[in-house]
Amino acid sequence: MTIVRIWRIAARETLAERGQPDGLVSAVTFVAALILVESLAVGPLAAGQPAVAAALFWIAMAFAAILATTRSFDRELEDDAIDAVLALPGGRDALYGGKVLALMALLAFVALIGGLLSLVLLSLEIALPGHLVFVIVAGVLGLPPVVVLFVTLALRLRARGALVPILALPVLVPHLVAATNGTAAAITGDPSGALGWGGLLVAFALVYSVLGLTIVPTALE
Amino acid sequence: MNSTAALRGATVVLGDRAILRDLDLELVPGITVVRGPNGAGKSTLLRALAGLVPLSRGTREVPDRTLYLGQRPQLLHGVSARDNLRFFASFRGLSIEGVGPALASWGLVAKDAGRPVETLSAGQRRRAALARIDVERCDLVLLDEPFSEIDDAAATQLLHAIRVLAGERRAVVIATHARFELDAGANRVVHLS
Repeated sequence: MTIVRIWRIAARETLAERGQPDGLVSAVTFVAALILVESLAVGPLAAGQPAVAAALFWIAMAFAAILATTRSFDRELEDDAIDAVLALPGGRDALYGGKVLALMALLAFVALIGGLLSLVLLSLEIALPGHLVFVIVAGVLGLPPVVVLFVTLALRLRARGALVPILALPVLVPHLVAATNGTAAAITGDPSGALGWGGLLVAFALVYSVLGLTIVPTALE
Repeated sequence: MNSTAALRGATVVLGDRAILRDLDLELVPGITVVRGPNGAGKSTLLRALAGLVPLSRGTREVPDRTLYLGQRPQLLHGVSARDNLRFFASFRGLSIEGVGPALASWGLVAKDAGRPVETLSAGQRRRAALARIDVERCDLVLLDEPFSEIDDAAATQLLHAIRVLAGERRAVVIATHARFELDAGANRVVHLS
Protein backbone atom coordinates (compact mmCIF):
# COMPACT_ATOMS: atom_id res chain seq x y z
CA MET A 1 0.00 0.00 0.00
CA THR A 2 2.87 2.38 0.72
CA ILE A 3 4.01 2.10 -2.90
CA VAL A 4 0.54 3.08 -4.09
CA ARG A 5 0.47 6.03 -1.67
CA ILE A 6 3.93 7.16 -2.81
CA TRP A 7 2.68 7.00 -6.37
CA ARG A 8 -0.40 9.10 -5.44
CA ILE A 9 1.81 11.80 -3.89
CA ALA A 10 4.08 11.81 -6.95
CA ALA A 11 1.05 12.13 -9.26
CA ARG A 12 -0.30 15.02 -7.14
CA GLU A 13 3.09 16.70 -7.28
CA THR A 14 3.26 16.32 -11.05
CA LEU A 15 -0.24 17.84 -11.38
CA ALA A 16 0.80 20.79 -9.21
CA GLU A 17 3.97 21.32 -11.23
CA ARG A 18 1.91 21.27 -14.42
CA GLY A 19 -0.44 23.88 -12.98
CA GLN A 20 2.32 26.05 -11.52
CA PRO A 21 5.52 25.11 -13.39
CA ASP A 22 7.72 27.61 -11.55
CA GLY A 23 9.94 24.87 -10.07
CA LEU A 24 10.59 23.36 -13.50
CA VAL A 25 11.00 26.71 -15.23
CA SER A 26 13.44 28.04 -12.63
CA ALA A 27 15.47 24.79 -12.69
CA VAL A 28 15.69 24.70 -16.50
CA THR A 29 16.50 28.42 -16.68
CA PHE A 30 19.21 28.09 -14.06
CA VAL A 31 20.91 25.11 -15.76
CA ALA A 32 20.66 26.70 -19.22
CA ALA A 33 22.01 30.04 -17.97
CA LEU A 34 24.95 28.40 -16.22
CA ILE A 35 25.94 26.36 -19.28
CA LEU A 36 25.59 29.44 -21.51
CA VAL A 37 27.64 31.61 -19.15
CA GLU A 38 30.26 28.86 -18.89
CA SER A 39 30.63 28.64 -22.65
CA LEU A 40 30.92 32.42 -22.96
CA ALA A 41 33.09 33.12 -19.92
CA VAL A 42 35.82 30.52 -20.30
CA GLY A 43 35.46 29.94 -24.03
CA PRO A 44 34.35 26.76 -25.79
CA LEU A 45 37.83 25.19 -25.70
CA ALA A 46 38.28 25.31 -21.93
CA ALA A 47 34.58 24.79 -21.20
CA GLY A 48 34.46 21.78 -23.51
CA GLN A 49 37.06 19.86 -21.53
CA PRO A 50 35.22 16.77 -20.26
CA ALA A 51 35.99 17.28 -16.55
CA VAL A 52 35.07 21.00 -16.64
CA ALA A 53 31.86 20.50 -18.63
CA ALA A 54 30.82 17.58 -16.40
CA ALA A 55 31.57 19.41 -13.15
CA LEU A 56 29.57 22.49 -14.14
CA PHE A 57 26.69 20.36 -15.40
CA TRP A 58 26.39 18.52 -12.07
CA ILE A 59 26.82 21.63 -9.94
CA ALA A 60 24.01 23.21 -11.97
CA MET A 61 21.90 20.06 -11.48
CA ALA A 62 22.45 20.11 -7.72
CA PHE A 63 21.29 23.72 -7.44
CA ALA A 64 18.39 23.02 -9.80
CA ALA A 65 17.31 20.16 -7.52
CA ILE A 66 17.44 22.45 -4.48
CA LEU A 67 15.46 25.17 -6.31
CA ALA A 68 12.74 22.80 -7.50
CA THR A 69 12.41 21.01 -4.16
CA THR A 70 12.24 24.23 -2.17
CA ARG A 71 9.54 25.52 -4.49
CA SER A 72 7.63 22.25 -4.18
CA PHE A 73 7.57 22.48 -0.37
CA ASP A 74 6.76 26.22 -0.47
CA ARG A 75 3.64 25.22 -2.37
CA GLU A 76 2.83 22.64 0.32
CA LEU A 77 3.06 25.33 3.01
CA GLU A 78 0.63 27.66 1.20
CA ASP A 79 -2.81 27.15 2.76
CA ASP A 80 -1.25 24.43 4.99
CA ALA A 81 -1.70 21.82 2.25
CA ILE A 82 1.01 19.69 3.83
CA ASP A 83 -1.03 19.30 7.04
CA ALA A 84 -3.77 17.51 5.13
CA VAL A 85 -1.21 15.00 3.81
CA LEU A 86 0.50 14.51 7.17
CA ALA A 87 -2.85 13.87 8.84
CA LEU A 88 -3.66 11.06 6.39
CA PRO A 89 -2.86 7.51 7.51
CA GLY A 90 0.53 6.71 5.97
CA GLY A 91 0.89 10.30 4.75
CA ARG A 92 4.21 10.93 6.48
CA ASP A 93 5.83 7.85 4.96
CA ALA A 94 4.45 8.49 1.51
CA LEU A 95 5.31 12.19 1.38
CA TYR A 96 9.07 11.68 1.19
CA GLY A 97 8.91 8.89 -1.40
CA GLY A 98 6.38 10.74 -3.53
CA LYS A 99 8.38 13.96 -3.54
CA VAL A 100 11.59 12.09 -4.40
CA LEU A 101 9.89 10.28 -7.27
CA ALA A 102 8.36 13.45 -8.69
CA LEU A 103 11.66 15.34 -8.38
CA MET A 104 13.47 12.53 -10.21
CA ALA A 105 11.08 12.94 -13.14
CA LEU A 106 11.52 16.71 -13.12
CA LEU A 107 15.32 16.46 -12.94
CA ALA A 108 15.38 13.92 -15.76
CA PHE A 109 13.73 16.57 -17.94
CA VAL A 110 16.13 19.27 -16.73
CA ALA A 111 19.11 16.95 -17.40
CA LEU A 112 17.84 16.29 -20.92
CA ILE A 113 17.66 20.02 -21.69
CA GLY A 114 20.99 20.71 -19.95
CA GLY A 115 22.67 17.79 -21.73
CA LEU A 116 21.45 18.89 -25.15
CA LEU A 117 22.56 22.48 -24.47
CA SER A 118 25.99 21.26 -23.36
CA LEU A 119 26.37 19.21 -26.52
CA VAL A 120 25.51 22.19 -28.73
CA LEU A 121 27.12 25.10 -26.87
CA LEU A 122 30.28 23.28 -25.75
CA SER A 123 30.65 21.20 -28.95
CA LEU A 124 31.08 18.04 -26.87
CA GLU A 125 31.88 14.79 -28.60
CA ILE A 126 30.62 11.79 -26.66
CA ALA A 127 32.70 8.61 -26.97
CA LEU A 128 30.27 6.38 -25.03
CA PRO A 129 26.70 7.73 -25.32
CA GLY A 130 25.08 4.68 -23.68
CA HIS A 131 27.42 4.91 -20.69
CA LEU A 132 26.75 8.65 -20.47
CA VAL A 133 23.01 8.04 -20.28
CA PHE A 134 23.58 5.46 -17.52
CA VAL A 135 25.73 7.87 -15.48
CA ILE A 136 23.27 10.73 -15.91
CA VAL A 137 20.31 8.54 -14.94
CA ALA A 138 22.22 7.27 -11.89
CA GLY A 139 23.18 10.84 -10.98
CA VAL A 140 19.60 12.06 -11.35
CA LEU A 141 18.41 9.20 -9.11
CA GLY A 142 20.90 10.17 -6.42
CA LEU A 143 20.16 13.89 -6.06
CA PRO A 144 16.50 13.94 -4.91
CA PRO A 145 16.86 11.60 -1.89
CA VAL A 146 19.44 13.95 -0.33
CA VAL A 147 17.83 17.24 -1.30
CA VAL A 148 14.28 16.26 -0.28
CA LEU A 149 15.67 14.96 3.03
CA PHE A 150 17.30 18.29 3.90
CA VAL A 151 14.41 20.42 2.66
CA THR A 152 12.09 18.34 4.87
CA LEU A 153 14.37 18.67 7.89
CA ALA A 154 14.47 22.47 7.44
CA LEU A 155 10.78 22.73 6.56
CA ARG A 156 9.57 24.76 9.54
CA LEU A 157 12.64 26.99 9.74
CA ARG A 158 12.31 30.55 8.55
CA ALA A 159 15.79 30.56 7.00
CA ARG A 160 15.31 27.30 5.12
CA GLY A 161 16.08 28.96 1.77
CA ALA A 162 19.61 29.71 2.98
CA LEU A 163 20.03 26.65 5.17
CA VAL A 164 19.20 23.93 2.66
CA PRO A 165 22.16 24.56 0.31
CA ILE A 166 24.49 24.95 3.31
CA LEU A 167 23.33 21.62 4.77
CA ALA A 168 22.87 19.64 1.56
CA LEU A 169 25.89 20.62 -0.52
CA PRO A 170 28.57 19.14 1.79
CA VAL A 171 26.63 15.85 1.83
CA LEU A 172 26.33 16.00 -1.94
CA VAL A 173 30.09 16.38 -2.49
CA PRO A 174 30.76 12.61 -2.90
CA HIS A 175 27.78 12.39 -5.25
CA LEU A 176 28.98 15.35 -7.32
CA VAL A 177 32.52 13.97 -7.50
CA ALA A 178 31.26 10.56 -8.63
CA ALA A 179 28.84 12.08 -11.15
CA THR A 180 31.53 14.39 -12.56
CA ASN A 181 34.10 11.61 -12.90
CA GLY A 182 31.55 9.19 -14.37
CA THR A 183 30.34 11.75 -16.91
CA ALA A 184 33.91 12.71 -17.89
CA ALA A 185 34.77 9.01 -18.27
CA ALA A 186 31.80 8.46 -20.59
CA ILE A 187 32.73 11.51 -22.66
CA THR A 188 36.39 10.49 -23.02
CA GLY A 189 35.70 6.79 -23.67
CA ASP A 190 36.57 5.05 -20.41
CA PRO A 191 33.85 2.38 -20.02
CA SER A 192 35.04 0.87 -16.74
CA GLY A 193 35.37 4.32 -15.17
CA ALA A 194 31.86 5.29 -16.31
CA LEU A 195 30.34 2.05 -15.02
CA GLY A 196 32.24 2.19 -11.74
CA TRP A 197 31.25 5.77 -10.93
CA GLY A 198 27.71 5.13 -12.15
CA GLY A 199 27.42 2.12 -9.83
CA LEU A 200 28.60 4.27 -6.94
CA LEU A 201 25.88 6.82 -7.78
CA VAL A 202 23.23 4.09 -7.67
CA ALA A 203 24.57 3.03 -4.26
CA PHE A 204 24.35 6.64 -3.02
CA ALA A 205 20.74 6.81 -4.25
CA LEU A 206 19.82 3.61 -2.40
CA VAL A 207 21.56 4.58 0.85
CA TYR A 208 20.02 8.06 0.98
CA SER A 209 16.57 6.78 -0.03
CA VAL A 210 16.59 4.31 2.87
CA LEU A 211 17.94 7.01 5.20
CA GLY A 212 15.25 9.46 4.10
CA LEU A 213 12.42 6.95 4.41
CA THR A 214 13.64 6.19 7.94
CA ILE A 215 14.29 9.74 9.16
CA VAL A 216 11.63 11.86 7.46
CA PRO A 217 8.44 10.41 9.02
CA THR A 218 9.87 11.08 12.49
CA ALA A 219 11.33 14.45 11.50
CA LEU A 220 7.95 15.61 10.23
CA GLU A 221 6.58 15.39 13.79
CA MET B 1 -20.68 4.42 25.36
CA ASN B 2 -17.66 3.26 23.32
CA SER B 3 -15.16 5.99 22.64
CA THR B 4 -14.03 6.80 19.10
CA ALA B 5 -10.83 8.54 20.14
CA ALA B 6 -9.04 9.63 23.27
CA LEU B 7 -6.20 11.71 24.63
CA ARG B 8 -4.86 10.49 27.96
CA GLY B 9 -2.61 12.65 30.11
CA ALA B 10 -1.73 14.65 27.01
CA THR B 11 0.79 17.43 27.35
CA VAL B 12 1.82 19.54 24.37
CA VAL B 13 4.74 21.92 24.70
CA LEU B 14 5.44 24.41 21.94
CA GLY B 15 8.65 26.37 22.46
CA ASP B 16 8.89 26.90 26.20
CA ARG B 17 5.13 26.97 26.81
CA ALA B 18 2.86 24.06 27.74
CA ILE B 19 -0.23 24.61 25.60
CA LEU B 20 -2.03 21.52 26.90
CA ARG B 21 -1.20 19.99 30.26
CA ASP B 22 -2.22 16.47 31.39
CA LEU B 23 -5.41 16.60 29.36
CA ASP B 24 -7.76 13.62 29.42
CA LEU B 25 -10.38 13.67 26.69
CA GLU B 26 -12.63 10.82 25.61
CA LEU B 27 -14.44 11.38 22.33
CA VAL B 28 -17.66 9.47 21.76
CA PRO B 29 -19.88 9.44 18.66
CA GLY B 30 -21.72 12.74 18.37
CA ILE B 31 -20.68 16.36 18.62
CA THR B 32 -17.97 17.75 20.89
CA VAL B 33 -17.54 21.51 20.87
CA VAL B 34 -14.25 23.02 22.02
CA ARG B 35 -14.44 26.58 23.27
CA GLY B 36 -12.03 28.99 24.86
CA PRO B 37 -10.37 32.35 24.35
CA ASN B 38 -7.66 32.98 21.77
CA GLY B 39 -4.49 31.13 22.69
CA ALA B 40 -6.28 28.68 24.98
CA GLY B 41 -5.12 25.74 22.88
CA LYS B 42 -8.22 24.84 20.83
CA SER B 43 -6.31 24.45 17.58
CA THR B 44 -3.45 22.68 19.33
CA LEU B 45 -5.93 20.19 20.80
CA LEU B 46 -7.28 19.38 17.34
CA ARG B 47 -3.77 19.19 15.88
CA ALA B 48 -2.74 16.87 18.69
CA LEU B 49 -5.71 14.62 17.90
CA ALA B 50 -4.76 14.72 14.20
CA GLY B 51 -1.18 13.76 15.04
CA LEU B 52 0.21 17.04 13.72
CA VAL B 53 1.90 18.05 16.97
CA PRO B 54 3.82 15.58 19.10
CA LEU B 55 2.74 14.86 22.64
CA SER B 56 5.46 15.60 25.18
CA ARG B 57 3.64 13.23 27.54
CA GLY B 58 0.56 11.08 27.33
CA THR B 59 -1.07 8.97 24.65
CA ARG B 60 -3.33 9.50 21.68
CA GLU B 61 -5.80 6.97 20.30
CA VAL B 62 -7.59 7.86 17.09
CA PRO B 63 -9.13 5.80 14.29
CA ASP B 64 -7.35 5.51 10.94
CA ARG B 65 -10.30 7.21 9.35
CA THR B 66 -9.73 10.62 10.88
CA LEU B 67 -10.32 13.82 8.93
CA TYR B 68 -8.68 17.04 10.08
CA LEU B 69 -9.79 20.31 8.50
CA GLY B 70 -7.67 23.18 9.81
CA GLN B 71 -8.24 26.90 9.77
CA ARG B 72 -6.93 27.07 6.22
CA PRO B 73 -8.31 25.01 3.30
CA GLN B 74 -5.25 22.70 3.02
CA LEU B 75 -5.65 22.39 -0.75
CA LEU B 76 -2.52 22.25 -2.91
CA HIS B 77 -2.06 25.25 -5.18
CA GLY B 78 -1.61 24.55 -8.88
CA VAL B 79 -4.15 21.72 -8.63
CA SER B 80 -7.91 21.99 -9.09
CA ALA B 81 -10.33 21.46 -6.21
CA ARG B 82 -11.57 18.34 -8.01
CA ASP B 83 -8.08 16.84 -8.32
CA ASN B 84 -7.23 17.79 -4.74
CA LEU B 85 -10.27 15.88 -3.47
CA ARG B 86 -9.64 12.99 -5.85
CA PHE B 87 -6.17 12.72 -4.35
CA PHE B 88 -7.54 12.49 -0.80
CA ALA B 89 -10.12 9.89 -1.80
CA SER B 90 -7.69 7.71 -3.74
CA PHE B 91 -5.03 8.00 -1.02
CA ARG B 92 -7.53 6.49 1.42
CA GLY B 93 -8.42 3.81 -1.12
CA LEU B 94 -11.90 5.28 -1.70
CA SER B 95 -13.74 5.73 -4.98
CA ILE B 96 -13.30 9.11 -6.66
CA GLU B 97 -16.82 8.96 -8.08
CA GLY B 98 -18.23 10.92 -5.16
CA VAL B 99 -15.95 13.93 -5.63
CA GLY B 100 -17.92 15.74 -8.35
CA PRO B 101 -21.33 15.41 -6.63
CA ALA B 102 -19.80 16.39 -3.26
CA LEU B 103 -18.24 19.55 -4.69
CA ALA B 104 -21.47 20.37 -6.50
CA SER B 105 -23.47 19.94 -3.29
CA TRP B 106 -21.17 22.48 -1.63
CA GLY B 107 -21.81 24.95 -4.44
CA LEU B 108 -18.79 24.37 -6.69
CA VAL B 109 -20.06 23.86 -10.21
CA ALA B 110 -17.93 21.76 -12.57
CA LYS B 111 -16.24 24.81 -14.09
CA ASP B 112 -15.07 26.12 -10.72
CA ALA B 113 -14.17 22.66 -9.45
CA GLY B 114 -11.79 22.28 -12.41
CA ARG B 115 -9.96 25.58 -11.81
CA PRO B 116 -6.68 25.72 -9.87
CA VAL B 117 -7.61 26.35 -6.23
CA GLU B 118 -5.58 29.55 -6.00
CA THR B 119 -7.94 31.16 -8.54
CA LEU B 120 -11.00 30.46 -6.35
CA SER B 121 -12.26 32.88 -3.71
CA ALA B 122 -11.48 32.17 -0.05
CA GLY B 123 -15.09 31.09 0.49
CA GLN B 124 -15.01 28.72 -2.47
CA ARG B 125 -11.76 27.18 -1.26
CA ARG B 126 -13.29 26.66 2.17
CA ARG B 127 -16.39 25.05 0.59
CA ALA B 128 -14.15 22.72 -1.44
CA ALA B 129 -12.32 21.74 1.74
CA LEU B 130 -15.60 21.08 3.54
CA ALA B 131 -16.67 18.80 0.69
CA ARG B 132 -14.02 16.40 2.00
CA ILE B 133 -16.43 15.59 4.82
CA ASP B 134 -18.81 14.01 2.29
CA VAL B 135 -16.09 12.39 0.18
CA GLU B 136 -14.04 10.76 2.95
CA ARG B 137 -16.85 9.86 5.43
CA CYS B 138 -14.47 9.51 8.36
CA ASP B 139 -15.24 8.14 11.83
CA LEU B 140 -13.57 11.10 13.53
CA VAL B 141 -13.92 14.57 12.00
CA LEU B 142 -11.88 17.44 13.47
CA LEU B 143 -13.03 20.91 12.39
CA ASP B 144 -11.03 23.99 13.38
CA GLU B 145 -13.06 27.20 13.00
CA PRO B 146 -15.05 25.68 10.14
CA PHE B 147 -17.50 28.59 9.93
CA SER B 148 -14.88 31.18 9.01
CA GLU B 149 -14.91 32.56 5.45
CA ILE B 150 -18.21 30.94 4.49
CA ASP B 151 -21.56 32.59 3.86
CA ASP B 152 -24.82 31.83 5.67
CA ALA B 153 -25.93 29.23 3.11
CA ALA B 154 -22.72 27.26 3.47
CA ALA B 155 -22.84 27.63 7.25
CA THR B 156 -26.35 26.16 7.28
CA GLN B 157 -25.17 23.30 5.09
CA LEU B 158 -22.23 22.70 7.40
CA LEU B 159 -24.49 22.58 10.45
CA HIS B 160 -26.64 20.04 8.61
CA ALA B 161 -23.57 17.97 7.63
CA ILE B 162 -22.36 17.97 11.25
CA ARG B 163 -25.75 16.72 12.46
CA VAL B 164 -25.80 14.02 9.77
CA LEU B 165 -22.34 12.84 10.85
CA ALA B 166 -23.45 12.75 14.48
CA GLY B 167 -26.56 10.82 13.46
CA GLU B 168 -24.35 8.27 11.70
CA ARG B 169 -22.55 7.65 15.03
CA ARG B 170 -19.39 9.46 13.95
CA ALA B 171 -17.47 11.72 16.32
CA VAL B 172 -17.22 15.37 15.31
CA VAL B 173 -14.99 17.78 17.20
CA ILE B 174 -15.50 21.48 16.45
CA ALA B 175 -13.26 24.25 17.75
CA THR B 176 -15.06 27.53 17.25
CA HIS B 177 -15.82 30.95 18.67
CA ALA B 178 -19.12 31.08 16.83
CA ARG B 179 -22.37 29.20 16.43
CA PHE B 180 -23.40 28.80 20.05
CA GLU B 181 -26.48 26.88 18.87
CA LEU B 182 -24.10 23.93 18.40
CA ASP B 183 -23.70 23.62 22.16
CA ALA B 184 -27.33 22.59 22.67
CA GLY B 185 -26.98 19.55 20.40
CA ALA B 186 -23.48 18.63 21.57
CA ASN B 187 -22.60 15.59 23.68
CA ARG B 188 -20.03 17.67 25.38
CA VAL B 189 -18.65 21.19 25.42
CA VAL B 190 -14.98 21.38 26.39
CA HIS B 191 -13.82 24.72 27.77
CA LEU B 192 -10.11 25.45 27.54
CA SER B 193 -8.64 28.40 29.40
